[in-house]
Amino acid sequence: MSDLIQKTSLVPRIIPCLDVAYREVVKGTNFKQLVTMGDPIELALNYQHQGADEIVFLDIKASVDQQDSTIAMFRKVAENLSIPFTVGGGIRQLSDVEKFFDAGADKVTINTAAVENPQLIDQISQKYGSQSLIVAIDVNHEDDGSRLLYTHGGSVRSETPYEQWVKEVEDRGAGEILLTAMHKDGTGTGYDLKLLSELQLSIPVIASGGAKNPKDFKDAILAGADAVLAAGIFHRKEYTVEDVKKYLINNKIEMRI
Amino acid sequence: MKVGVINLNSGNLLSVVSALKRIGHEVQVIDKPAVDFDALVMPGQGRFAFVANQLNQNNWRSFITEWIHKDKKFIGICVGMQLLFESSEEDKGAVGLAVLKGKITKLQHPKTPMVGWAKLSGNDDFLNQQYVYFVNSYAVSDSEYCIAKVDYGNSFCAAVQKNNLYAFQFHPEKSGDYGLELLQHCLGE
Repeated sequence: MSDLIQKTSLVPRIIPCLDVAYREVVKGTNFKQLVTMGDPIELALNYQHQGADEIVFLDIKASVDQQDSTIAMFRKVAENLSIPFTVGGGIRQLSDVEKFFDAGADKVTINTAAVENPQLIDQISQKYGSQSLIVAIDVNHEDDGSRLLYTHGGSVRSETPYEQWVKEVEDRGAGEILLTAMHKDGTGTGYDLKLLSELQLSIPVIASGGAKNPKDFKDAILAGADAVLAAGIFHRKEYTVEDVKKYLINNKIEMRI
Repeated sequence: MKVGVINLNSGNLLSVVSALKRIGHEVQVIDKPAVDFDALVMPGQGRFAFVANQLNQNNWRSFITEWIHKDKKFIGICVGMQLLFESSEEDKGAVGLAVLKGKITKLQHPKTPMVGWAKLSGNDDFLNQQYVYFVNSYAVSDSEYCIAKVDYGNSFCAAVQKNNLYAFQFHPEKSGDYGLELLQHCLGE
């Protein structure tokens, strides 16, 4: 590796995340009281217009009976969007993935299924290429200072040690890691910079969880994030993607505009 | 304009087709050579050898080569660009269309594939300083017809143009509004 030069023209990415349920964008935190926020295609196009580099859709209510209509919705997204998009939620096995790619998704993201069946990472990356797979990792900073891995939308603590899992995800061929610091998610206290800076990976890392203002994006990028994902800050219209990018450019971080 | 999108069974064509439709073209996915088009687009994803092998079907090789030699409008995208060259380090036995001179090599960066947005540089005013979306582990490092370059480990050729032949290592159909403008620019409207 030492003979390889790390010269790159790639710029850090800003990725809005849309939680989807029954083909509507919803406010994602409290599953019991879903508040609908609007049409996924309209909202995604709005983010594209603001300068989003990618969009992530998480189908938080993914279920078999809903699948066909949800797939049709993603197909419409693909027909209308001119930037890459990722879909996740409810993927259990390799055969689930094909439908999303057929519908025009650029990447899929998996979380629980990967922890329960790590081979799925190998299978997806071998069949569709590692660039098509984002493995989402939910980690929580426990009261005793340890970092533990969670699955099922953060509700189930996994037996797999966090550090070991990160390495395994990379080794098995994931294209990117979407790292959510659960203890930061929704708190508006910024990304977990220590967590980001301690990662030693050869694949890109997308930071998630905790953004309150544009400075948080800057800090995450300086701590090593290749991309930064956020939901609430954009949905609540506190800042547009353009606001965040302007701030970063003013702070000498190159952004696509 | 009537645009044919060549189906080489290598990846999803929906984005390319939708992008071309959005900029006002009549688009048809074609499984076999057909002449009644104003322009042809050749997308490609996946391994070089797989897509090169697809070209062996249906007489694609001679049809595409002749189309380009007649200087009819043609756009290659991603592996669809790589196939215009002679060979690739990815699959040593496989041969490209050799319409352009050069060999595809692996990007000299520890993180591959290169995934994301990068700014083009070069003398072409339409491409220079524009951000476009890349997903690739291989590329041609240079070409006499190179019109834009980017760096990823090494410097490589992101776009070539030879008269009515355009090819992009990046994905114009995923490169936002600029990507659509670029496709329109190539199609000459």
